[in-house]
Amino acid sequence: MAGLLLSPSEKVYILHGIEDDFRSDGRSNIDYRPMELETDVVSHASGSARLRLANTDILVGVKTEIDVPKPDKPNQGKIDFFVDCSANATPEFEGRGGEQLANNISNLMQRAYHSEQAFDLKQLSIFEGKQCWKLYVDILILECGGNLCDAVSLAVKAALFNTRIPFVKAALLDGGNVDLQLSDDPYDSKLLEVGTAPLLVTLCKIGEKCVVDPSAEEESCSVISLVVGVTGNPKCYCSNEDASKLHEHISKCSTIAMNGPGSVAPQTLTNAIKQGINAAKYLDEALGKALLRERQDITNFVKHSYGFFK
Amino acid sequence: MPGPDLLSSQGLRLDGRRPNELRRIRCKLGVFTQPDGSAYLEQGNTKVLAAVYGPHQASKSKSSSEGVVVNCQYSMATFSTGERKNRPRGDRKSQEMSMHLRQALTAAIKTEMYPRSQIDIYVEVLQADGGAYCASVNASTLALIDAGIPLKAYVCSCSASMAYKDGVPEPLLDVGHVEEAAGGVTLTVASLPSTGSIALLELSHRLHSDYFETVLSRAMQGCRDIEIILDKAVREHLAEGWTKQDVITI
Amino acid sequence: MPLDYRRFNGPEDSVSYRRFTEDYTKDYKQFLDELIDENGRRKGGREMDEARTLCMFFARTGMISQAKGSSYIELKRTKVACSVFDPREIVHQNEYSTLGQLYCEVKFAPFSCRGERKALVPDSDERALSVALKKALEPAVCRHLFPNYQIDIFIYILENDGACLPAAINAAGLALSDAAVPMYDIITASSVAISGDKIFVDPTDDEEQLAIRNHDGVNHGVITMSMLPELQQVSDYRQIGSMDADCVLNALSILEKECKKIVPYVQRVLVQNAINSFEQQKKLEEEAKEREEALNAKMEVWKSILNVG
Repeated sequence: MAGLLLSPSEKVYILHGIEDDFRSDGRSNIDYRPMELETDVVSHASGSARLRLANTDILVGVKTEIDVPKPDKPNQGKIDFFVDCSANATPEFEGRGGEQLANNISNLMQRAYHSEQAFDLKQLSIFEGKQCWKLYVDILILECGGNLCDAVSLAVKAALFNTRIPFVKAALLDGGNVDLQLSDDPYDSKLLEVGTAPLLVTLCKIGEKCVVDPSAEEESCSVISLVVGVTGNPKCYCSNEDASKLHEHISKCSTIAMNGPGSVAPQTLTNAIKQGINAAKYLDEALGKALLRERQDITNFVKHSYGFFK
Repeated sequence: MPGPDLLSSQGLRLDGRRPNELRRIRCKLGVFTQPDGSAYLEQGNTKVLAAVYGPHQASKSKSSSEGVVVNCQYSMATFSTGERKNRPRGDRKSQEMSMHLRQALTAAIKTEMYPRSQIDIYVEVLQADGGAYCASVNASTLALIDAGIPLKAYVCSCSASMAYKDGVPEPLLDVGHVEEAAGGVTLTVASLPSTGSIALLELSHRLHSDYFETVLSRAMQGCRDIEIILDKAVREHLAEGWTKQDVITI
Repeated sequence: MPLDYRRFNGPEDSVSYRRFTEDYTKDYKQFLDELIDENGRRKGGREMDEARTLCMFFARTGMISQAKGSSYIELKRTKVACSVFDPREIVHQNEYSTLGQLYCEVKFAPFSCRGERKALVPDSDERALSVALKKALEPAVCRHLFPNYQIDIFIYILENDGACLPAAINAAGLALSDAAVPMYDIITASSVAISGDKIFVDPTDDEEQLAIRNHDGVNHGVITMSMLPELQQVSDYRQIGSMDADCVLNALSILEKECKKIVPYVQRVLVQNAINSFEQQKKLEEEAKEREEALNAKMEVWKSILNVG
């Protein structure tokens, strides 16, 4: 991160704190920092969200386009992740400097959303084999203060929750062409089912322990971190009466990856995966609550737009 | 040659403004903690973030003993425009914008204060609805002030266009995207209003020289108005004292 | 993408004819039945937990003479060649890096995959594999021994029949040792494909395809893990698909065992490599001695001629 220089004694201080389950900002090893989330911040996008996790600032915009489905998946739509590391975050990202980090994050997101159990692409189909929606999930990293992966996954889920896709009537014409009819009313649209969308949890191994939500300083003390992608619980993302109709949910791992140049013992890996699944469950519940409250405010026209003015 | 119909019979523009009216400008200094200075500025529906790093030691190839090197990068978020952009930066338009930004800002910065140094100014357009360049210049000015870099004066930018009401020419201030797209001529001015000098002048296409004077004076008037708004924002920001975000962690 | 004009390029929206064959319309059940026979064995006659390494593991070093170190691995129909080049100084680098860098590039041969022909420019698959390979190898190499230098590792996949990432990691491990790059430990990798309660160890391409498909919300996915077996360290762990925690942990223990099973094979290849190089050295020395003797003999002859003269 930008000009982050820590002396060996500062690193030792962080390390000893984590050993005693007491981190330099007063958290315990399993605590997240406070977050601010706002949806519907970019008017040119179909759905958008801005998440600020301490110093990490992520803006996500979802754009929709009509595309032709892949021949081997005729009844599925497409989803594409694009990460842009803005030079606002650090001068190192100027030009193409942030490309490698951006690719890593977008690949990770692509893998996490790969399984149908994580995100059902069938809901994006318009006409089987002919037309489908393609979602462009554009992630803009405005400031990095550690724990990018978690913040990105939270913001993406919020933006997808906020995304509206217009209703389209499709009819097959002669010669295999498809005629699409779009309604003029912008409110004539459907919301996506994103309850199962995965959240990523980064577990940063510092010393002998793993911590969640590492700050930039803590990240620089660690050589290896584990990213666990866990599917969400759809019950947290709908009203109570709808929730009772849903099946009991088991959270599953939709991706696991390791970041950084180090390695870990198998036992640590096992513990970290368990810890990650646990953390993701609470994170998912909190996100669901916040998003439902936000949606309530939007439908009642009482939502206050803060943007960057807060 | 009456251009496209940009003024209604009541003398109002497509978005309901009067010809000499700016769009609403809202801004905030110090939105981020990591850069040395940052600002967010909304001009109507155009939203821009600017961050300033520096002054710091210049890289060897760029270093000049005359004065500070001003390095600008203009990039647009992929979701900022109606149609999705494939690349946030690096295309011709962004590079041109970066150059123009550099020109306008170099005129305002007291470059002789920091020889062999470099100032990085990064502008990110989050939402583009016409006048992205103007908003970028205005946001950069605020970010430079937030970074505490000595300026000769506020550098403000504003655009103006030309319309005809009942055959009488009437310049329009602060052109929006709809008016830009309608094909009217756009004159973009970046100026230092308090010194009365112009840092950059750009004309999108041809304009009869008879009208040039009126359009330019309208744009300059806009710059002066913007300066007042920016000045107010800076004073308010400073009145708050040290913002709570300036707390140092660790 | 540059087009190859020497070949006939079909229209851009053309689809492979396989799309319309019967194979394509098979549902999950048929697919599964085809892969596993009534005795619970897999198509190639392997048991579910039997890796290809056990019935046939063909590996050798010194495959490419121009490279400093090279290797070739063949797991039935997955064939991978790897070459490693000398450390070289990193050019155009802004900062001095105290650790050496690894540059990995994975390339599929145009004819390596079923269905589509692979283009010459690297696609996203290849880039992802390159990143994964780099991540897996980094903890194994003593990078502090060559600061500001980089080692280039090139993988060429000649034929892909599943598990190409583990094959690439194994091959790269061999090639690195062949190139005498200092390493902390042997590096081995293995993968499993999971579909429901079936766990395919060292999957083929078909089995991987099956595992990627979602069926009725059961566990599915592919996991690749690489290990430094003696040090008991996991250098990379990569999963796609969706599965619950028990399944992940179960797979983890299977993979750990599999990675250890490969070690003796790798050791054998390395020992063979060492023996070969010793023998070659000996041979070279002998040849040199012979040449010297011949030279001395000739010298004697010339001397005697000169003395006579």
